[in-house]
Amino acid sequence: MADADQVTITINGIDHVVAAGQLLITAAENIGEIIPRFCHHDKLEPVAKCRMCLVEVEGPRGKALVPSCTMPVSNGMVVDTKSAVVTKAHEGVLEFLLINHPLDCPICDKGGECPLQDQAYAHGPGESRFVEEKRTYLKPLPVSDLVLLDRERCVLCDRCVRVADDIAGDPLLVFTERGNAVQIQTFPDEPFASYFSGNTVQLCPVGALTSVDYRFKARPWDLHHVTSVSLVDTVQSTVDVQTSRGKIVRVYGVENDAVNEGWLSDKDRFVFPAIHADTRVVQPLVRNGERFDKATWGEALEIVASRLGSCKGAEVAAIGGAHNTNEDAFALGKFMRSVIGSAHIDAQIGDGLDARLAAAVTSRARLGDLDAASTILVWGPDLKEVLPVLYLRVRKATRNGATLVVVSPVATGLDSVADHVVRYRAGTGSELLRKLGAGDGDLVGARSALREGPVVALVGRTSLAEDPNLAESIAAFALSLPEAKILPLLERGNVFGALDMGLAPGLLPGRVSVDSQEGVDAIEDAWGPLPDHEGLDAMSILADLVEGDMSALVMVGSDPVSDCPDPQLARAAIEAADFVVAIDAFITDSSVLADVILPAAVWGEVDGTVTNLEGRVQRIRPSLLPAGQSRALHGLLDDIASQMGADLGTSDLAMISKEIASVAPSYAGITIDYLTFAGDPDGVVVPIEDAQQPLVYTPVDRPVPVVTGEFTLHLAASLYDAGVWLSNAAALGDLARSAYVRLHPSDAARRAITPGETIVVSGSHQLPVALDDTVSRGTLVVPHNLEETKGFVATPTVTVDTVRGEE
Amino acid sequence: MTDLILTARMTAHPADSHMIDRFVATGGYSALRKALTELTPEEVKDEVKASNMRGRGGAGFPTGVKWGFLAASEPRYLVVNGDESEPGTFNDRQLMERDPHQLVEGIAISSYALGIGHAFVYIRGEYPRSARRVQRAIEEAYAAGYLGDGILGTDFSLDVTVHLGGGAYICGEETALLNSLEGRRGEPRLKPPFPAVEGLYAKPTIVNNVESISNVPWIVNNSGTSYAAIGPERSAGTKMLSISGHINKPGNHEIIMGMTWRDMIYDLGGGIPDDRALKTWIPGGASAPWFVPEEHLDTILSIDDVAANGSMIGAGAVVVMDETTNVVAAAHRIVRFFAHESCGQCTPCREGTRWLEDVLKRILDGRGRPEDIDLLLDISDNISPGLSWPPAMTTICPLGPSAVSPVTSITRWFLPEIEAMIAGGGDSDG
Amino acid sequence: MSSPISAWSHASQERVQTILDSYPEPRSAIMPLLYIASLEHDRVSPEAMRQVAELTGVTPAQVASVASFYTMFKRDGVGEYLVSVCTSISCFLRGADDVLEVVEDATGARRGETSSDGTFTVEHVECIGSCGGAPAVQVNYELIEGVSTDNGRKLVAWLKDTKPQVVLADEMQQLFGGSRSFDWGGPEPEGAIAPVPAFGPYGSSGEGR
Ligand SMILES: Cc1cc2nc3c(=O)[nH]c(=O)nc-3n(C[C@H](O)[C@H](O)[C@H](O)COP(=O)(O)O)c2cc1C
Ligand code: SF4
Ligand code: FES
Repeated sequence: MADADQVTITINGIDHVVAAGQLLITAAENIGEIIPRFCHHDKLEPVAKCRMCLVEVEGPRGKALVPSCTMPVSNGMVVDTKSAVVTKAHEGVLEFLLINHPLDCPICDKGGECPLQDQAYAHGPGESRFVEEKRTYLKPLPVSDLVLLDRERCVLCDRCVRVADDIAGDPLLVFTERGNAVQIQTFPDEPFASYFSGNTVQLCPVGALTSVDYRFKARPWDLHHVTSVSLVDTVQSTVDVQTSRGKIVRVYGVENDAVNEGWLSDKDRFVFPAIHADTRVVQPLVRNGERFDKATWGEALEIVASRLGSCKGAEVAAIGGAHNTNEDAFALGKFMRSVIGSAHIDAQIGDGLDARLAAAVTSRARLGDLDAASTILVWGPDLKEVLPVLYLRVRKATRNGATLVVVSPVATGLDSVADHVVRYRAGTGSELLRKLGAGDGDLVGARSALREGPVVALVGRTSLAEDPNLAESIAAFALSLPEAKILPLLERGNVFGALDMGLAPGLLPGRVSVDSQEGVDAIEDAWGPLPDHEGLDAMSILADLVEGDMSALVMVGSDPVSDCPDPQLARAAIEAADFVVAIDAFITDSSVLADVILPAAVWGEVDGTVTNLEGRVQRIRPSLLPAGQSRALHGLLDDIASQMGADLGTSDLAMISKEIASVAPSYAGITIDYLTFAGDPDGVVVPIEDAQQPLVYTPVDRPVPVVTGEFTLHLAASLYDAGVWLSNAAALGDLARSAYVRLHPSDAARRAITPGETIVVSGSHQLPVALDDTVSRGTLVVPHNLEETKGFVATPTVTVDTVRGEE
Repeated sequence: MTDLILTARMTAHPADSHMIDRFVATGGYSALRKALTELTPEEVKDEVKASNMRGRGGAGFPTGVKWGFLAASEPRYLVVNGDESEPGTFNDRQLMERDPHQLVEGIAISSYALGIGHAFVYIRGEYPRSARRVQRAIEEAYAAGYLGDGILGTDFSLDVTVHLGGGAYICGEETALLNSLEGRRGEPRLKPPFPAVEGLYAKPTIVNNVESISNVPWIVNNSGTSYAAIGPERSAGTKMLSISGHINKPGNHEIIMGMTWRDMIYDLGGGIPDDRALKTWIPGGASAPWFVPEEHLDTILSIDDVAANGSMIGAGAVVVMDETTNVVAAAHRIVRFFAHESCGQCTPCREGTRWLEDVLKRILDGRGRPEDIDLLLDISDNISPGLSWPPAMTTICPLGPSAVSPVTSITRWFLPEIEAMIAGGGDSDG
Repeated sequence: MSSPISAWSHASQERVQTILDSYPEPRSAIMPLLYIASLEHDRVSPEAMRQVAELTGVTPAQVASVASFYTMFKRDGVGEYLVSVCTSISCFLRGADDVLEVVEDATGARRGETSSDGTFTVEHVECIGSCGGAPAVQVNYELIEGVSTDNGRKLVAWLKDTKPQVVLADEMQQLFGGSRSFDWGGPEPEGAIAPVPAFGPYGSSGEGR
């Protein structure tokens, strides 16, 4: 026998040394002995219901049939996977599964990639001995807006129910009836409304669960697969993008255990139809009074080059870049700093965190650290709404025994699995932090949980209305906890990559502070002199535009009018600017105000690398050519630069990649080629070994004033908002909920407000009221960026007026 | 028989054996007092171990040994299995209706021995009278200080809750029962972990049958060794037999094992009505393979002798069938029962039991084909490979394989009759 | 916030609390609460399941999953009298199929159906633990053993004619029963007032237990 974590087992007469602690079905698979299965899935608790994986194992009373999916390997185990008894058992189970299964493979979405079909061909009896009538059900049953169920195809493997209940925490899909009548069902009028419903479709071993989007769209053998990365949020789940006849038809999760473990949110999975939407901007547009005229690239670029060229560097600002690849973001930063001569550049829109905290906090946690954490602190946005796959990972950690402390002004998706839920009135976070630090009163339990390391702290802003400095204080506190690591919470696509590429006023590529002379010198050696003014962040840029201190704005895939805390300021700023160019794929609330719109290639079309919230760099690959005349950012910036008489040097991706690897210290060595050929398929986390880490940022406890007033604001994000991507994404488009403003029943009682009644919030928005005793007293919860709350300003305090006459 | 353990009180006092006054007047709760005041929990456990009593719920596992597996962590639970639903069994019902305090006393003593503070009695939903009487006994016991806080002035406290089933035989399987008690579907769990380690609410739990627990007061009063001395070795104590079917004296009989089946049927059971001939009988409930007179009349009625002959005593249900019985119809009834009661988790049980039912029905309806006999046996073999007893299983619990017993029994003993039925176009009375 | 069961009878509302208190975890109360909810709604309706879900902190789908597993939680409405005829092996051997047919004819309801006037629902059930007193019948889960075809017919007629508010096993056994599995002992005052078993703590027996 080998060392302690290995055991020797005998399979079909041959000895194998395998890792201890695994299930027999997995151990066998790892040595190439595939045992058939339907209910077993690596990421789900074993249930051993299908009975397909039976093997013979020798025991004290001779050989016995056991399900290999529940049997842990043990030293000296003797297994037969091919004996006559085993073979007969497999054939028997398969026959049992088939007697009531329809023979509709030719029209079934799963046909061609169906384990049941495959095994029926491989082992099944030729002729059916079943002359009785098959079970039939009305078909198909819509279990949600996204997923359909054909019950007669179902083999009752329990995978979907386990995903819904155990993994996602949405026990809305259940078995009903018993015996031969068992079936999967939802409750009447309570659809399987889960942010994770698509995972059930991917896991279903037959064609029982299908997605509305994909149904009848393609056959497996027509599909072209590309492994890429989802840019829906900063988890950057690894995905398999499947195209047929020039269109993306399906996105599946890839089991990258370092990141998403195969899971996706429905937004990751079902947002792709927006790419093919006919509302996309696919040709340059130039303003002509109230409307846009189509233009050629030549015409449009000439206008942009001349208008930007006529400004002084410091009068031009850029907002955006968080949805782009690292290479595109790098090109944008270089364009602004070295061609335009402006340091006013920000990938965040006043909705995020201090860029240095986000980019360079140490010790920074990896997602995998959650698995080993003793205590997890979540003080930030509701992960279920904004980073759903991270939410799953935290849930998993709690299943494995981690203690979870959740701090928020309102209930979050994680509360149900949290050991300590701490609430505070919106705007009083700094006060609460002091109490938590001291372990005052009812915080004793939470405080003592936080004394058990290793601690992983997930830190962000609970809402747009919260002072961003609070996160720094929280991070400073968290770093004082035992063996603490921090994961900063930003949401937008590749925002961490953008920050790493220097798309922040105080940062240069590779996590270098503009305050570092050494860093500045290195960049200036490559690029020439950097602007000598201090860069402004997005909110200051918008203010300066309104003031007339700045005159031109470049918006790169950003929509400040929808996303920044002060939409009205954003609108005024864009309107006040002399010249605005939007590089975007859609007409948004912001780009509609621009002078020129340049059509941008988007996810699915772009190539390069991206960086997620833990700093992991992965390769993102195109599945499609850019729609219409759309172009990748780096190339079109290179063209604008040439029009302006400069050589940006970003026409070629490989060149940019090499430049990043040489000028961005923490990215030293991480080229596209490295990721493609030499690297780990899971991606690499920056900084990789040997690379310098120039900026070591330790958050400090920043003064944050406590907000007072009758009502303080919690501006709540939800997964399905009124953003342009979702509204163009077929089935997802309809899922945004209607807006309610929520407050604590006692606050409502004090103001004699009744549920359902419409109130006026901050003098501008009329919204119906819902009472919610999970909202802390004095807090008003307003949903962010739904149709009814567009343009809502995230002031710390809000006023409430009733619309009915005085009583 | 003078040595009745379980049914002495109800036999002597048919009108009020279920009332606390009668119970106490006939020595009730003296064993509890003795256990609490004279014996340590260890000593009580030792007595039960020494009794060699084997669980009466069907599996026949020695109760004292099972108690020894109970994990140490707190809290721990005792769950009494009163789900009695196997066709042919009705002895727990009598014990619950006619001497519920005997059960309550057994629960209190067992809980004391096992360090348990909360016990549950799971009673099948179709037994309202059992539930009422056990519930009333519990309330009387609380009022009299035999349950609740500080029982009999000691520091032992116990709560007992009655839980009612909802109509599902599978909830008699101990882990399905625990799921049901937790408010879940009554689906058997994977073992390990066993209930003694992770049972109710994933806490250490002992599940025992009503009859098993009802024996505990006698054992404490009379000592384990005197219990062990009753009856043949490895079939110690008395056993409640439920006799039904074509028999002159159907009903429950508390017996000492060791008699022959001939004595049981013709003496204890009073023989077959109208002196018709005995055709076959089921020695231990619907799950058990059948016995036939030519082979088994002189077999000894004991756990081991029945097992040696390829069947089981189980929970003690004897179903007698006379010469007029259509064995295909009888087998169909039993298979139909298991198909109806399958929880549906395991493919072979969910699909296979129903398929067996359908094929038998087809034969009864005159649509049988000669190859159906092989088909029945092959389906059976795919549920229970080898068709041996105790069964090998492709399933999580033994329900699926139980459905195979009637099929193997009729094909083994009555093959010509089935063949004739197929050839002759069925039997419309089925 | 208003209680999900404020429309329930006072007695039922009180029982809910007692039941929730008797278990270490609220989920365990699902089955007993389903019995009470079905008394309040005359069946285990979606609304009833929703209420039980709210009381026990699970989703309505989870309650439906449990309720549909068991045969005694009637999701479809049943008649005033639920007549359950055992047709499992021992009763079958003793002529239960004939009793079932007689009951079907007399009530006008086939097995699994409710008579058009809503008085009877007839079902055939698997073993109800009365094999020694086969054939056995239950009316609203109150047991009668040793029922001949003749008495089966009379039982239905009696139910039709007298429309008893409460059905009592002892009374029906005396009027229509035959040999029993065992001597039942002293009489039992409780009985079922609806097609829900009259259990001690959850029961429909009204007074006392
Ligand atoms: C399908 C099935 C049904 C069962 N039904 C019952 C039952 O109704 N009553 C019972 O006591 N045990 C029943 N058992 C046995 C229990 O699982 C368990 O072994 C028993 O309750 C333990 O009690 P004992 O050790 O006192 O016998 C059943 C087992 C199976 C597999
Ligand atoms: S054998 Fe049948 S009853 Fe037992 S667990 Fe499997 S499906 Fe359920
Ligand atoms: S894969 Fe093991 S039982 Fe289904």
